[in-house]
Amino acid sequence: MATSPTIEYPAEIPAGQGPRSSGISYQQLLDDDTRSVPEVLRWESARELPVVRVPLERYTSREFHDLEVEKLWKRVWQFVCREEEIPEPGDHMVYEIAEIQILVVRGHDRKIRAFANSCLHRGRALKDCAGRSENIRCPFHGWTWNLDGSMKELPCRWDFPHVDRDEYRLPEYRTGTWAGFVFVNMDPEAPSFESYLGDLPRHFERWDLAKRYKEAHVAHLMHCNWKVAQEAFMEAYHVVATHPQILAGIGDSNSQYDVWDNFSRAMTANMTPSPHIDYEPDEQEMLQSIVTTSLDEAPMLRVPEGMTARQLFAQMARMQLQSTVPSATDLTDAEMNDSFYYTLFPNFHPWGAYNRIVYRFRPLGNDPDRSIMEVLYLAPYRGSRRPEPAEIHWLDYDEPWTHAPELGPLAKIFAQDTFNLPKVQRGLKSASHSHATFANYQETKIRHFHTLLEKYIAA
Amino acid sequence: MKLRHPLSGLVYESREDGNVEVSDDQGRSGVFTTAGRWIRGELREADPHFAGFVAGPMINAAGRIQGSRGSDKKAAPARTGVAVPTFDTRNDGPRAGRHKEREMDLGLDGRKALVTAATRGIGLAIAQTLADQGCDLAICARGEAGLETARKDLEGRGAKVFTQVVDVADGDALTAFVSGAAEELGGLDVYVSNASAGGGPGEKAWQPTFEIDVMGAVRGVGAATPHLAQSDAGSVVIISSTAALEYLGMPQAYNAMKAALISFASDMSQALAPQGVRVNTVSPGPVYFEGGNWEMIKQAMPAMYESALAQCAIGRMGTPEEVARAVVFLSSPAASLVTGANLVVDGGFTKRSAF
Repeated sequence: MATSPTIEYPAEIPAGQGPRSSGISYQQLLDDDTRSVPEVLRWESARELPVVRVPLERYTSREFHDLEVEKLWKRVWQFVCREEEIPEPGDHMVYEIAEIQILVVRGHDRKIRAFANSCLHRGRALKDCAGRSENIRCPFHGWTWNLDGSMKELPCRWDFPHVDRDEYRLPEYRTGTWAGFVFVNMDPEAPSFESYLGDLPRHFERWDLAKRYKEAHVAHLMHCNWKVAQEAFMEAYHVVATHPQILAGIGDSNSQYDVWDNFSRAMTANMTPSPHIDYEPDEQEMLQSIVTTSLDEAPMLRVPEGMTARQLFAQMARMQLQSTVPSATDLTDAEMNDSFYYTLFPNFHPWGAYNRIVYRFRPLGNDPDRSIMEVLYLAPYRGSRRPEPAEIHWLDYDEPWTHAPELGPLAKIFAQDTFNLPKVQRGLKSASHSHATFANYQETKIRHFHTLLEKYIAA
Repeated sequence: MKLRHPLSGLVYESREDGNVEVSDDQGRSGVFTTAGRWIRGELREADPHFAGFVAGPMINAAGRIQGSRGSDKKAAPARTGVAVPTFDTRNDGPRAGRHKEREMDLGLDGRKALVTAATRGIGLAIAQTLADQGCDLAICARGEAGLETARKDLEGRGAKVFTQVVDVADGDALTAFVSGAAEELGGLDVYVSNASAGGGPGEKAWQPTFEIDVMGAVRGVGAATPHLAQSDAGSVVIISSTAALEYLGMPQAYNAMKAALISFASDMSQALAPQGVRVNTVSPGPVYFEGGNWEMIKQAMPAMYESALAQCAIGRMGTPEEVARAVVFLSSPAASLVTGANLVVDGGFTKRSAF
């Protein structure tokens, strides 16, 4: 463990309050919207967060990883899949966290159940991968359970006089669903899923994620701790150094950050200049920074006289959405332009409005230096028939994001984000200092995460 | 792409070679990799995120990857296809584990290929397989009708097709066809020399076999080389035969000329390597197809057919498609390290240890 005699960390500052960027606030920006602004965008919730520094070994040590497995992953509600990925009775998938596998099955009663993926006989994984089957049959000796977990068949029943059929039901984990997402909790003592979610469903009422389909699903292997990866997607503080090309058109350091019980939110505006740049870009320049127009090319879009880039982009986005979202004409400029990125502790990141993004970050096996970053696009669709969900497209550690064309232009942004991550992990191992230090306001979401993580670890 | 960094004011521009050039308003500049590493020039420092963004590949609105080399290939086939996760989390998710996405991509989509004598048998199968991989094609043969049939077939597979009636024995006609093909298709990435005079006993078979098999390859590859050198994945595949490798019952011009091709291809692989062009040979064993030599032999010389069949270790002769797949692999960027090789595709017909 790295401890440093050289840095004396000053006392922690009180959180929640304190200085803000001098740029226009997100709430002020909403005042100029051409549509009436929904309540959800007006909510503000700053809270005291005790954690402003965390020990570096939280990201690098196997001991801390093991604590996470025991105290966090085995106790917390976690997103496993979308309901539409297991639409029919017998459909199942295998969710994996660290080295624990959970079998998620839809029963004949259409209920979704979760079981430890382990045969009660000698422990073989019951299912190796997703599929559809009439029952749950261990491939080793053929012990078989019904989809509801009751025992169905035990070959050579006479040889197991000591096995009681009722006692050998498959041990079941609790499941919960919200907005088409299936969640599992391995802890029978955990709070109910509904109380865990708290007010989160209210935030998404306007952007019903249930009526979406999985348009893309890319899973990228990462040479870094899952929290290193995740934390790169929880603040706009990095934009100035990591995505400088969009500075003319992004309100990065004047983003708004809020926390509630188990979830947090950031709101970052587009088509407004960054407080970091020392000149005033015109509307056309803001637009071009976001849609990336090369200096030696004619722009595809021109902001008309008397209109702002924000209004133009919103108008174009509404036109695009209209065919699948009938209410598109009433959506605010804010919803059409900006990023609303939520985090439900510990690793689930659905975006508000119609950005389509959902992130999930997980450790890969029991290696604190490796992780899986997943990007799902949940797109609205037309009609009553939901398009088939996309299969997972795996990208290897060094494979460029642009190998997943289904991600569209954002692939280049993800590439910039993840460029740093293995280098962060490397740097953590070279540190002679002992703690990571977070921003008071702009890293609110990360501080909220670590506050909750500490609560779980200490429990 | 060319962008001005909003903080430093420096202009970043992607270069043909995949790097990025950074310049300031004083006329100073520097060249950097997409990861921001300095290569040369007066300016020594660049923002790696900005450099990567400007010079890295991007996906355009049409879902195509646009690389810094000005290529505009369909995005999906540009996947390397090697990214199979090392941990079994790949089982996670619905229908995962089938890994359709993970099939090896040959990288042929959008490329231009030329195949001589491509209206039947192995030549046609090569052209069809290349077309299925997304190549545009130039093909030649002696018969107009066969060319028309082949053209329709290949166009049905989505290829742009250029055809010309050519007798490969006519050197001038062949080189004119190669130049015309490069012009019509807008370059050449793959050259497959397939035309052959076929077998035949006696002295009179030597001259046409030399002209068509050997000189056809020599002249064709020669005419194609300047175009292949301009490709970022130029390659040549010459069709030889197992007849070059083992005694086949009687001395023939065919056997010796096919042997000459292996030698020629091997030399060319060394000579053209500095220009980035790979040269390989494929030596098919007995290949059976309707209207092919072995069908004729089966009827006319059943004993010979039976004895050849008996020598096929896998118990059957090959198909044109099986040979074509080997040719197409060697011709593709997926075989980027393979040059100077002679790939024997014969189902165990030859018995030597192929060291």
